[in-house]
Amino acid sequence: MEVAFQLLLNGVALGAAYALVALGFVLVLNATSAVNFAQGDLVMAGGLLAVALAPLIPLPGIALLPVVLALMAGLGLVLAGVAYLPLRRRPPVSVFISTIAVGIILQNGASVLFGPEPRVAPPLFGDGVWRVGGVAVPEQSVAIVAVAALLIGAQQWVFARTQLGRRLRATAQDPEMARACGVPVTAMILVTFAIGTACAGAAGLLLANRYFVTPTAGGDLILKAYIAVTVGGWGSVPGAVLGALLIALFEVGVSSVLSYPVALGALYGTLLAILVARPQGLFGEAVRRRA
Amino acid sequence: MRRALFLVVGLLGFGLPAVLPARAETLSFPVLVPLTGFLSLEGTSQRNGAALALSQAGAKADVIDTGTSPEAAVTALERAAGGGNVGAVAASMLGTQMLAMLPLAAELKLPLVTVSGTASITEQGNPWVFRFFPGDAVTKTAHARYVVEELGKTRPALIYQTTAYGQSGKAHLETAFKALGAELVFEEGVDPAAKDLLPVLTKALAAKPDALVLHLHSGPTALLLKQAASGGVGANGVGIPIVAGSAMHQPSTAALLEPAELKGVCAETAASPVSGGSPEMDAFTASYRTAFGKEPDAFALGQYDGMAMVLAAVKAGAGDAESIRKALAAGTHKGLAMTYASDGKGNMAHSAVIVCYDGTGRVPAVVKRYDDLDGPVQAGAVK
Repeated sequence: MEVAFQLLLNGVALGAAYALVALGFVLVLNATSAVNFAQGDLVMAGGLLAVALAPLIPLPGIALLPVVLALMAGLGLVLAGVAYLPLRRRPPVSVFISTIAVGIILQNGASVLFGPEPRVAPPLFGDGVWRVGGVAVPEQSVAIVAVAALLIGAQQWVFARTQLGRRLRATAQDPEMARACGVPVTAMILVTFAIGTACAGAAGLLLANRYFVTPTAGGDLILKAYIAVTVGGWGSVPGAVLGALLIALFEVGVSSVLSYPVALGALYGTLLAILVARPQGLFGEAVRRRA
Repeated sequence: MRRALFLVVGLLGFGLPAVLPARAETLSFPVLVPLTGFLSLEGTSQRNGAALALSQAGAKADVIDTGTSPEAAVTALERAAGGGNVGAVAASMLGTQMLAMLPLAAELKLPLVTVSGTASITEQGNPWVFRFFPGDAVTKTAHARYVVEELGKTRPALIYQTTAYGQSGKAHLETAFKALGAELVFEEGVDPAAKDLLPVLTKALAAKPDALVLHLHSGPTALLLKQAASGGVGANGVGIPIVAGSAMHQPSTAALLEPAELKGVCAETAASPVSGGSPEMDAFTASYRTAFGKEPDAFALGQYDGMAMVLAAVKAGAGDAESIRKALAAGTHKGLAMTYASDGKGNMAHSAVIVCYDGTGRVPAVVKRYDDLDGPVQAGAVK
């Protein structure tokens, strides 16, 4: 029972971090119809940014979080400026390739700047372990869940309750109509890239303490984001979060019963089953066509 | 200044010729290693080891990044061969790249000096390959012998990586434990991308093992130890000895963990330069830190020793690639990690050590040394 609770906690913490990765991915997807293949490498960049900032700001990771969010949002604007806006009127494949190129540049740039060694970011609050009735509860796991929930909740609030959020949603749903209604579409796309990349940065900070970060870590994360969004429903924000939690359930829950390779196989089997039974994903297809 | 320091260190003598003889001045020693991709950590160590040896001897290190694809390695070898009078090549530790380069090396008649652990590279009947790092047949025998003979454990659980590296180690560990009369009560592979290793750790401990044997890459090793430490049982969190694979000895792995999380953890490796052991080893470690700003590992030392043997052959009169190959195949070299000699197939390294952490720091102590684990080597068996 204690083990089950501990695995559940680990799974939810991992799923929460994955959810931030998937969320950033789906926001850009909705706003631009473009798949941002650099999202995984942006998560890696966020993790390494936290590693680099830690000696400069010798405080717990929670103090680094706003700095990482701000700097990564700036990186998102740069990403939009160099990899999306110049190609927005070209076929979607141009943007796919440009984001792949950005990912490779980030990966190799990180290798040059930080070296190939795995790095560890500071914990959000502390690195201790609480003992609750025989269950080891790492402080960092609880902090990951809390911070991820806070960020996802704040984002939902912005999108649902603010004028900015309404404009962002209008841009995502129909850019031409939004423009006709006076919404500054280009500015909204830039804001979306900034938020999506900030999400990636937050996920990087959260993941880089318990799971470390290397320059090549992004490839695996983009795959998970893609699966989460496909399972949840292409373009669906709640679907992306649910898909991310489902991946973590397989990685932690199923692999505790079967082996990790079998759990991974089962995850892909489930993905195929969902695509056959419900091609639009669990929460429907909100936006346009698949990549 | 740095170059001057290298020359001084070389003259102080840890086995390297300070300056190459005049007739060998035109020889080049390309360094073709993976500096990007999933093996960039180990490839960088390899590059640094080769570059340090060459610098100390006054030779130039022309480095080409081979990435991780066999085609890139072959292209790099062709490019290097076209650049001049090549004496020997410091070649990729990635087995698939070595296998792709071997036929071309034979055609070009260029010795490949590597620290690749892939067993098959020295099983191709190719006389141009020389491995300065013990293969799994050596290291995994030491790994299993330490668990059974020194710790007295006979019911180990094995967690290994699902990669080629992990599968090879697993196969050798199974054989070694069986030969020693020990029974693996649990074995399971994990993908290097697995973020949470608590599930496999929980299952391993549920099998009631008396030791935990790991054969994982750097990040997963640290991840598993961190999760084990949070278990709160005994010194290392799980209450039974943990003996890890060679990734644990890498200073970059230990850097991911707090010293307390390392307490009681042991690991096999070819060598542990940061643990010292001799003035020459200390001098190497100091030079490495000065040159690269980081700690050396066994891969760096193996490649350093390999290039040192090449340079010693040049100093002794080998003026071309064929002469260098003959010297490597027939000679014996007292390196910093061990004494190297070919077994007739190009396997030069036949020793391994066990290191353990005491929980007070990130530098392990060498607690056991195993020599000639693949049988005594008859030096001089020229191929």
